[in-house]
Amino acid sequence: MIAWTTAAPAVAAAFTASAVEVVEAFTIVLAVATLRGWRPALAGAGAALALLAAAVLALGPLLGLVDPHLLELAIGILLLLFGLGWLRKAVLRAAGLMALHDETAIFEREKAQIGAECETTTAADWIAGLASFKAVLLEGLEVVFIVLAVGGVKGELLIPASIGALAAFAVVMVAGLLIRGPLSKVPENTLKFGVGVMLSSFGVYWTGEGLGLAWPGDDLSLVGLVVIFLLAALALARLVRPPAAEAAA
Amino acid sequence: MSVILEVLEELWSMFVGDRRLTLLALAVVAATALAARALNAPPLVSAGLLLVGALAVLTDSVMQAARRAKR
Repeated sequence: MIAWTTAAPAVAAAFTASAVEVVEAFTIVLAVATLRGWRPALAGAGAALALLAAAVLALGPLLGLVDPHLLELAIGILLLLFGLGWLRKAVLRAAGLMALHDETAIFEREKAQIGAECETTTAADWIAGLASFKAVLLEGLEVVFIVLAVGGVKGELLIPASIGALAAFAVVMVAGLLIRGPLSKVPENTLKFGVGVMLSSFGVYWTGEGLGLAWPGDDLSLVGLVVIFLLAALALARLVRPPAAEAAA
Repeated sequence: MSVILEVLEELWSMFVGDRRLTLLALAVVAATALAARALNAPPLVSAGLLLVGALAVLTDSVMQAARRAKR
């Protein structure tokens, strides 16, 4: 039986992080589809998804062969580095010190760039498909890492984390196909803030577990870590926000 | 070939996007391990050290980036 205090943050982290990454990949796949049609766009995206699924199927079971404490420590450190990096950017965006992620602007930029590349070659569909493949592969790498990391430490969480990621994929794809445009209304920057908080909390928790430390309340302390990181990140964003951004907010 | 290079670059940037942050976070983990294993600090103290260290690394990295952005 999986404790909800462990499963809920894992599923939430996998769902939210995957939603953000799928939105980003969808923007580029849509740019390809707008320029060259859905065939190369979906062929590229499908090939990347197949490669990522193969990676999960190959790497997932291998995690079970590693010493549990070593695995907790390695995954904890990687999550800590990844989460703190993600949270740092989210805090800077929230403070107005880093440009916000704008899917409409990215869509236009990618369309112009891929369009220019396609004009100079006879293999335009191949180039367009490759752009779609790369976008899904690179964004999907982060999803694979997050699913393996939050689900792989305790093997029983791999399936809930995968379900969280697949649900995010389904939700974003349905929304994208209905809207048929870049998903600029998705509160990506807020979601990224939340993901940074969750990944950093997981990183600290698993690093501690890997080092054999005792967390008060065991799994429940994960919720406490999320609250502490959230409050700290909000306070930091407020602290470094320039006066002009403060007045505009 | 360029796809493989881009995948490797993506993996590198995932964990070492900011070198200072990466090095400081690794130093915090090493210090916690030292406190827990070599100095036999109580587990709760070591856990507190890890959490406070991680928050300090985040604060340092954000403050440094903020200073750069405001220049």
